[in-house]
Amino acid sequence: MNRPGVRKERLQGAGLDAALPYFMLAPGVLLVLLVLIYPLWDGLRASTMFYRFGNPVRKVGFDNYIRLWSDPQFLNSLWVTLTFVASAVAIETVLGLALALFCSHEFRGIRLLRTILIIPMVVTPVVVGIVFRLIYASDAGMLTAFSEALGGGAVEILGHPVRAFVGLVVLDVWEWTPLMFLILLAGLQSLPIEPLEAARVDGAGPWRVFIDHTFPMLRPIIAVAIVLRTIDAFGTFDQVFVLTHGGPGEATRLLSIFGYDTAFKFQETGYAAALFVTMGLIILAFTLAAVRLLKRAATS
Amino acid sequence: MIRALGRFTIVAFVLALVLLPIYWMASTSLKSNREITQEGTLYPHHPSFENFAHLFAYKRFSDYLLNSIAVTIISVLVALVLGSLGAYAIVRFRLPFSLERRVGLSLLILRIVPPVVILIPVYLLILSLGLLDTWLGLIIIYTALNVTYCVWMMESFFREIPVDLEEAAMVDGDSRFGAFRRIVLPVAAPGLVATSIFAVIVTFNEFMFALVLTSTPHAMTMPRGTATLIGRIDTDWASMSAAGVVGALPIVLFAFLVQRHLVRGLTLGAVK
Amino acid sequence: MTIRSVHSSRMNRRTLLKGSAALGLGAAVMTKARPARAAGGKVIIGAFADGGLAPFKEKIIPLAKQEGGFEIEYLEDEYGVTLEKWFADARNSAGQYDLYLLDDPWVPQFGAADVLEDLGAGGIDGADADWIGSMIDMGYWPPRSGPRVKGFESAPPKLICVPFVGDLQTLTYRNDVYKSGAPASWDEVIAKGKEAVAAGTIKYPVVFRGVSGNPIVTSWYPIFLSFGGEFFDDKWNVTFNSAKGKASADFFVGTMKQNAPPGVVEFDSDQEGAAILGGDAGAIIQYSGNALKADDPKQSKVAGKLDFGVVPKQEKAIAQMGIFIAGVPKSAPNKANVVAFLKWYTSGATQAKLAEAGSIPVRRTGFGVAKPGNRLIPVALQQLDAGALPRPRTPDWAKIEELLGIELNKALQAGSGGGAALDAAAEKATAFLKQVGYYP
Repeated sequence: MNRPGVRKERLQGAGLDAALPYFMLAPGVLLVLLVLIYPLWDGLRASTMFYRFGNPVRKVGFDNYIRLWSDPQFLNSLWVTLTFVASAVAIETVLGLALALFCSHEFRGIRLLRTILIIPMVVTPVVVGIVFRLIYASDAGMLTAFSEALGGGAVEILGHPVRAFVGLVVLDVWEWTPLMFLILLAGLQSLPIEPLEAARVDGAGPWRVFIDHTFPMLRPIIAVAIVLRTIDAFGTFDQVFVLTHGGPGEATRLLSIFGYDTAFKFQETGYAAALFVTMGLIILAFTLAAVRLLKRAATS
Repeated sequence: MIRALGRFTIVAFVLALVLLPIYWMASTSLKSNREITQEGTLYPHHPSFENFAHLFAYKRFSDYLLNSIAVTIISVLVALVLGSLGAYAIVRFRLPFSLERRVGLSLLILRIVPPVVILIPVYLLILSLGLLDTWLGLIIIYTALNVTYCVWMMESFFREIPVDLEEAAMVDGDSRFGAFRRIVLPVAAPGLVATSIFAVIVTFNEFMFALVLTSTPHAMTMPRGTATLIGRIDTDWASMSAAGVVGALPIVLFAFLVQRHLVRGLTLGAVK
Repeated sequence: MTIRSVHSSRMNRRTLLKGSAALGLGAAVMTKARPARAAGGKVIIGAFADGGLAPFKEKIIPLAKQEGGFEIEYLEDEYGVTLEKWFADARNSAGQYDLYLLDDPWVPQFGAADVLEDLGAGGIDGADADWIGSMIDMGYWPPRSGPRVKGFESAPPKLICVPFVGDLQTLTYRNDVYKSGAPASWDEVIAKGKEAVAAGTIKYPVVFRGVSGNPIVTSWYPIFLSFGGEFFDDKWNVTFNSAKGKASADFFVGTMKQNAPPGVVEFDSDQEGAAILGGDAGAIIQYSGNALKADDPKQSKVAGKLDFGVVPKQEKAIAQMGIFIAGVPKSAPNKANVVAFLKWYTSGATQAKLAEAGSIPVRRTGFGVAKPGNRLIPVALQQLDAGALPRPRTPDWAKIEELLGIELNKALQAGSGGGAALDAAAEKATAFLKQVGYYP
């Protein structure tokens, strides 16, 4: 964290200067404490109670958590979320890397490509949900329109569990591959040229150069990108809410949607709070594990 | 030659994949509901802007747009101020009990946990403050979320700046805070810009908290307003697609304008 | 002027500009820091988007301003979001609405939470004989008849909601397929429908909604009722997986699906509407929302070929009733206005105007008008008299419907196993009800 050459100041000086750091930290910290930390704590508390129509009825300790792990709906949500995150992030990373490698040397049209690729990332996620709903709808959708123009019939995606799930993964890949692309491209461009040039001069083919030199140097950046994207993917909500709201049945019911329904539709506030805490812990565990792995890989 | 042709094909293919869905939504927004559901045309046969006019005249979209812009600008500005101050303190000062390091670490952890985890308690908090369906309620939560991000980003920018600059200024008689304001901030300006761009985009597009904290055009934001048209009963595809276009346009235009800084901000977090 | 003074005057102007901008912004934030509040004859109505409310929106709201000076702010939202939004609003006394136009199955939930005004005490007479009996019954909590959930066994029924716009399922059918009038039985629906498919008049005999949750359960319910099924017994034991119930489910996921468009598993209101209005389907059981579009050539390709009738019968011919029912939260900001509005709105005179505008009224006077705005209205009265049942009056209906919907949808996708789906749903429902304390 502390780079050599950057010195930190010990508190010195009198009066206002001494208190300055506290003044500078205080407003931000206070806000975060009130609006983020306190609710986190409140959520923990709520997760130990049994609610009926939004009213706490009695304390139940860890019962909500125990109930979670024997609730087929929760387990299904967990499974759906894990498979969604794993497949989406994997595909995004591979495609993003391929694109980044493709763009590693300047060529005509690369600026246009980079500009257009920004669009999926910045479009409001709710709108991305709308965009894909308009593509997948079996009556008014793009796939059906194309299919019928070619003489085929209606294309059904959102009514079939597997297809709807795949459709959701496709949505996420469309939306977030550009982000992976940008990060990996920046990483590629920050790599030192000499080792790669040396390898090429030695006669190594482009694939060998990649495997032996580029990829190992790029690995930490790839890892960071994967971790960041995974964390965000766990929290996917807006697009699913609009596209399928968890359906058909439970095929696309991510943890976030299931939690939302449990809290707001069925008013089981305590149970939902326990679910969200569990979800947070799972992500935290994953991140810590990933960071530890990264540290170990960096030192090896 | 072949390489150039191959390259061209790939670029064209990728561009098509990215733009096709957008084209479809845009073209749907120019059709009538009947044309959409019963004729399934590939392009609008009688294009018209009627759907858009309808959105603004009947569906309160001008309200949603105004709310979004106001809430976004205010919360990002406040978060930038609070975040820069905090980030500077963390980077430059050594407080007892390594306080500044602890604060920095906790803010990082908060960045990791998905916001959905605190959705319900935040709803109850805003409710108890009597701020449901108000700008202030949204500003409060958005600012808090943005502060964590701003501190994180500005930390790395401030670290780049050698202390010598401020020390020179202080030797010349400037106060610590004066040095911060007159020397450090201007140098870190690109960082501020990159951070704020990302914060603007994320805040404008935020849906989940808006869903739960607002219910009327008094404070509903654009994404939230767009969702009123999603419809499972009586899906008004025409209005829905027009709403999608209207919802996406401001942010996409904004992103195009600032794309250089945007790319910098996005990748900085990862590459550092 | 010296450079310094120019600089400082420019600074001053800049500071002034910044200051006033900040002040303006601060003022704007302050005005938006309070939720919107009462003014004049204002009434804030929350509604979910539904074609059944179109006549109210278009004809009655202006009338309310004219006749009663009521300024109605009509806030529409998406069906899937409204239940939780309004319940949160009421339960937390957030005061953002004066009136919710609820879907009637939600009344028990609001009733059990005790968040709605007692409208009977507020001056609305629930005993007036002009009310359609089955409709006004739905406004009472605890219900005046039928089983009561735990905790409300001896509470006196209070009128917490008043019917707002009538709605119930009826049969919409193609008169060029069912030439001798509405098909009386399910066998007839399928048989004549198949003939018409062979003749090329239509593509599918039937269409319905298959999406998991409320849509599929609503599609299955009239079939379930017509086969003689019963959902709960007096003690809230689950009985929908009786032999009759299972038969209805097998018929639904089997025969019905085979005779419906292939994408039916994904269908919701708009798709089933498109199928019948676009001319592909022969018959559909639907609420008035889409039915009201049948005669409009701008919305229907087969205007003139669609007629309405009572739902087909297996053992019985009972439709599901689902009205728009209005409740006033205790935290309503304009309470006096909204009660006055409700009294005006539910008067015989206004209900007559509602019927003329094309919506199903909630008072007999409304049904008696000479020129109802839609052909559906006399048929609706027929169905009401033939038999129309609301969904079970329990505050946990949303969860039960959800569990049932998931299983039915799975079976519908497979095209078989309707009975097994009901058993699975019954098990889950029983477990849930036990957990929340229904069974001693």
